[in-house]
Amino acid sequence: MERTSSLRRLGLAFLPIVATAAILVVLPPIWFGDSPYTTSLAVQALVFAAYGIGFNLIFGSTNQLFLCVGALAGIGGYGAGILANETSLPMVAGVVVGTVAAAIVGGLLSWIAVRRSLGVIFTGIVTLVFSLAFANLLLGQRDLTGSETGLVVTGVPAKLGDDQVGGYYLFAGLLVVFLVVFRLLQLSHLGWAFRALRDDEVAAELAGVNVSRYRIYAATIGSAMIGLTGALLAYSAGFISPATYSFDRVDVRVLVLVAFGGLGTLLGPVLGATVFAFLDERLTESLELREVLYGVFVIAIFLFFRRGVVNAVVDLWKRLGGRRREPAVQTSGD
Amino acid sequence: MRAVILDGLVLGLAFGLLGVGMTLVYGLGGVLNLAYGQIVVLAAIVASLQMEDGRATLLAALLGIGAAAGVAVLLDLTLMRPVYRQHGEERTLLGLLLTLGAAFVIGGLLAWRYPTGTLYINILGDPISIIGVPMARGSIWASVIALAVAAVLLLFFGMTTFGRGVRSVIQDETGARLVGINPSFVRTVIFALSGALAGIVAITQGMSGPLGVNAGFELTTFALIVTVVGGLGSVAGAFLAGVLLGVVNSMSAHYVGQYYTTIILLGAAALTILIRPRGLLGR
Repeated sequence: MERTSSLRRLGLAFLPIVATAAILVVLPPIWFGDSPYTTSLAVQALVFAAYGIGFNLIFGSTNQLFLCVGALAGIGGYGAGILANETSLPMVAGVVVGTVAAAIVGGLLSWIAVRRSLGVIFTGIVTLVFSLAFANLLLGQRDLTGSETGLVVTGVPAKLGDDQVGGYYLFAGLLVVFLVVFRLLQLSHLGWAFRALRDDEVAAELAGVNVSRYRIYAATIGSAMIGLTGALLAYSAGFISPATYSFDRVDVRVLVLVAFGGLGTLLGPVLGATVFAFLDERLTESLELREVLYGVFVIAIFLFFRRGVVNAVVDLWKRLGGRRREPAVQTSGD
Repeated sequence: MRAVILDGLVLGLAFGLLGVGMTLVYGLGGVLNLAYGQIVVLAAIVASLQMEDGRATLLAALLGIGAAAGVAVLLDLTLMRPVYRQHGEERTLLGLLLTLGAAFVIGGLLAWRYPTGTLYINILGDPISIIGVPMARGSIWASVIALAVAAVLLLFFGMTTFGRGVRSVIQDETGARLVGINPSFVRTVIFALSGALAGIVAITQGMSGPLGVNAGFELTTFALIVTVVGGLGSVAGAFLAGVLLGVVNSMSAHYVGQYYTTIILLGAAALTILIRPRGLLGR
């Protein structure tokens, strides 16, 4: 009896992921399989959703404001790209190196922030400073990175390079894996610690949660996700430049879409990325006006809609369902 | 070598002037105004438009400064109200995010409407020789203005009643309220002052070289570095940090190269946070 109910709970916990995976699989054949343009938009949405899950794990779960998503993705991307160009190692090696490098850097940044007990703000400033320094490093190391002109990534498997739908399924698969990892973390003792330290850091520390350690774990895993996404993007796009991973193209967008979807929630980043990928294409052609719109979104979301879509829907659901008990996995952040 | 150091001093005074407007607002309410660079650009665009219309340079400059102060007050009266209802870290975080949004709105609108907008105030005349180094007149004017602003600000906060009132709010908001100072009014005035300072930065930058419509983000970054290194909330600290960083900048640009110079400056900011989070002169 006890056993079946906990199995049911486990099933419920993974239901949203199964549903997402099903939707992702059937979308190309029934909708945009024959339109390269829409497919490329969908790939972009998947990439940003993947970044978003990594960022969500770091900021949403453990309250570390990492303003270096683009830079971490760039470490993954340039790590993979440079390795592919300078050596004859296969793609897998490049992806692994890029991912591990991003994980180490992210973990190190978190370790520094934890050791010096920097608050949210100083963590934000240090990681922002790191982003800008990384961008300058890319520009300065012309021989390795090609500076502003960018870097053509060699050794891309043909299936991935020429075929948009191949890229789509690659990132769809990646996204599902990230969702599973995120949910498993939430269900494990790490998730319990994350919730405790998000709700009240001091109380969590007193209750025996090693706040520092869990922060570094979250930052390392999240950074690995971001680095892996960046590395795969380098291969699937076949070309990267500093703009691919720049602060204003990546970080601002990730922040907006995660906040819009719901900080700390499983599906928030996916929802946010989907909405924004198709929204900003429709709204205006002008890059400058798009920047204005992003500014308006940032302001509006943080002023009026801080809990995000997923939390709002969960609240509504609870209110309508009245007596319905909360599922074991409570995903809302605060 | 002398030329490099002198260049560094000129640049450093510009940095100091840039940082002081941001540091004041932070010191007063814990808000890091990430739209600061965009307000500088706004002043530059307004001034350049006025000059194109044939107005005298001085009048155009004053109008630019006024416009920047106006926008800053507008920000304070709208976006900053909900921010100041929060406390501590929540307040700083919300302020950071909302001003980031404002930065995109202001910067995007300016770049959209005036894609080639640039302020350049050409100061005629031969270079003046200072300790044997010929310096452009525009740079000398810019430095003199920065020094004058520093002197006025230090006198204002040290000597006048209102300036002391401001410092009391910086030290203790509740205490200031108890002795009859209205923190909200003080903050609005300081936001206006910070906007005017942003306007002055636009003018002095325009004197030393062209200031383009897309400079906002970079200006904010440098202001942030100066603010952090100097100590959040310290006027003297901002100028001291500005001069130090300016000299470091021109030395390393001369001997190492421009890309690494930016990295060195960013590294200085990161190191300051790690070793001495209060900054050089912060409390």
